[in-house]
Amino acid sequence: MHQITYTYINLPHLYLLPEKLISPIKVIKDTHNKIVMTKDDLLVVEGVRKTFGGLVALDEVNMKVKKNLLVMLIGPNGSGKTTLINVISGIYKPDKGKIIFENKEITECSADEVCREGLVRTFQIPQLFTKLTVLENVLTAYKDNPGTSFLKACVKRTWIQRETEATKKAFEILDTVGLSHMWDKRASELSGGQMKLLETARALMSGAKMIMMDEPAAGVFPSLIDKIFKHFVELKKKFGLTFLIIEHRLEPVLPYVDYVYAMDRGRVISEGKPKEVLNDEKVIESYLGE
Amino acid sequence: MAAIDFLLDMLATVGVYLMLTLSLNLDSGYCGIPNFGKVLAMIAGAFVVAFFPGRILATMLGMSGDFVTDNASMIFQINSFLASNFLISTALFIATIIVAIGFGMIVGYVSTRPAVKIGSGPLAITLLVMGEGLRVIGTNYAPLAGGSIGISAPDVFAWAGGDRFLVVSVVVFVFSVAIFFFVNRLTNAPLGRMLRAVRDNEIAAESLGIDIVGVKLKTMMVSSAIAAVAGALYAFYSGAVISTAYTRASWTFIPWAMMLLGGVANNVGVVTGVFTFVFLRKLIVMYKAELTPYLPFDVLWLELILYGVMVILILMYRPEGLIPEKRTPTLKMSTLKKMQKT
Repeated sequence: MHQITYTYINLPHLYLLPEKLISPIKVIKDTHNKIVMTKDDLLVVEGVRKTFGGLVALDEVNMKVKKNLLVMLIGPNGSGKTTLINVISGIYKPDKGKIIFENKEITECSADEVCREGLVRTFQIPQLFTKLTVLENVLTAYKDNPGTSFLKACVKRTWIQRETEATKKAFEILDTVGLSHMWDKRASELSGGQMKLLETARALMSGAKMIMMDEPAAGVFPSLIDKIFKHFVELKKKFGLTFLIIEHRLEPVLPYVDYVYAMDRGRVISEGKPKEVLNDEKVIESYLGE
Repeated sequence: MAAIDFLLDMLATVGVYLMLTLSLNLDSGYCGIPNFGKVLAMIAGAFVVAFFPGRILATMLGMSGDFVTDNASMIFQINSFLASNFLISTALFIATIIVAIGFGMIVGYVSTRPAVKIGSGPLAITLLVMGEGLRVIGTNYAPLAGGSIGISAPDVFAWAGGDRFLVVSVVVFVFSVAIFFFVNRLTNAPLGRMLRAVRDNEIAAESLGIDIVGVKLKTMMVSSAIAAVAGALYAFYSGAVISTAYTRASWTFIPWAMMLLGGVANNVGVVTGVFTFVFLRKLIVMYKAELTPYLPFDVLWLELILYGVMVILILMYRPEGLIPEKRTPTLKMSTLKKMQKT
């Protein structure tokens, strides 16, 4: 495998120029002159490998997620989907390969650093702060709050204004996901579907540019799945968000999906528009078995 | 007179334990750090009192001799000097407290850093061992605090004459009240919410951009500084530092029991727990002789047995404590309700 070297060119003002003028500049190439990242790509996973002892969980995974799309990651159990999200979000470090988010390499970043870059994840089993209220859960995700500093926390006037602004924003977000009426309830009192929505609300509060979700429809009442994905599409439009979603239940969510990656045994075996991928023989074979 | 002495003694003991348990509540109750080495920072504060102010004054007064071996005669001269020098006494007291805060912060950082990334179990053991370690060092290394015999500390309240006991008890209590308001301020701010988030779910907190290692280290530095102040004040109150007296049972496990009884992550609960425990303790001490004929064991063990039984009962029947953790909104509820409606 060749060594990839990257040239980072971050000139945001060039986005204002016509496409043909900026396209030769706004790319990242490897040593073989192959384009690794274009201006439309938000996340690039390049040759990522992850093993646990003798088990190869991810094997040379390549993936590109374009901005403002709802991208789905499918595959049978044990295909490496959750491991990939764990690697991208900084919970696991890859053995090999690179991960680039918004022109910045995040391969060696810790989970909190990845989040601060604007790449936030949710979990298959919602990871909430169960003793905190719904509103407090959302407010926890607010970045750069001076009131979280030991030096400033004692002096209320140093943080009260930002806290008020943050609370207003939190209520707006809770309203968007339909949870504002439950703001004073403890997170542990929510239903499974509401917990998933609260995780989404927290991700929005953190100022995420991209949200990775691990099975947001798992364990959710079927009628609520449709509602949740409609919310995602609304959020995508309203906040210019990008989604990378792992999901097992394909039928109810396909109408909302822009692009699909299919994985099997730690590799990406197919990618493209939803119908193309679902009709791909390799994908059918991976789900039905050889 | 006995009643006043009892009240003053209780005031000072409540003060010291309140500071210690509030600091424990900050790191363990709010942030979820399993601090089984609370005695560590307490000893650090006491050792500052044992080591620095006496030597400084001895140098100032041009005394010759070894501060540890000639401790009794040197402290006699120092205290005679301090009795007629209110300003120097107060300045020395304040300077010692400041050094204790700094030393407490260093001890908090050093004791937490090695195992903070590994997990709760190793961190708990590390803190426990370090607490024991510093006590053992103090017991065996005489220059620090007089070894197993101990050392007398300068009496910075000697100027109060016959009212010394009253003054020092009130000072200790005033410090504990100030620390209560300080900790309450911290925990009622967005910082308190962040600490509770780290305690509730580290994975979620980290995935929301919170640097949990940094948060834990800072929390331990601040809580250890508070415990060091408690240790320094206790040393000034008792007038001596004896390393062997700083046992994990008295200065780690009893604060834990006080916190569990009052209510974890509730500062008012901590106050309740401390008052209940100290009152019970003083009663047992007062009525030891009367209780002896009714006990099938030495009355010395009654106190610890009662504490143990109490902790078991709390954990079994009321694990949230007498006053459970409450919602602590950073803004007024009326403001929040108004915001929700708009």
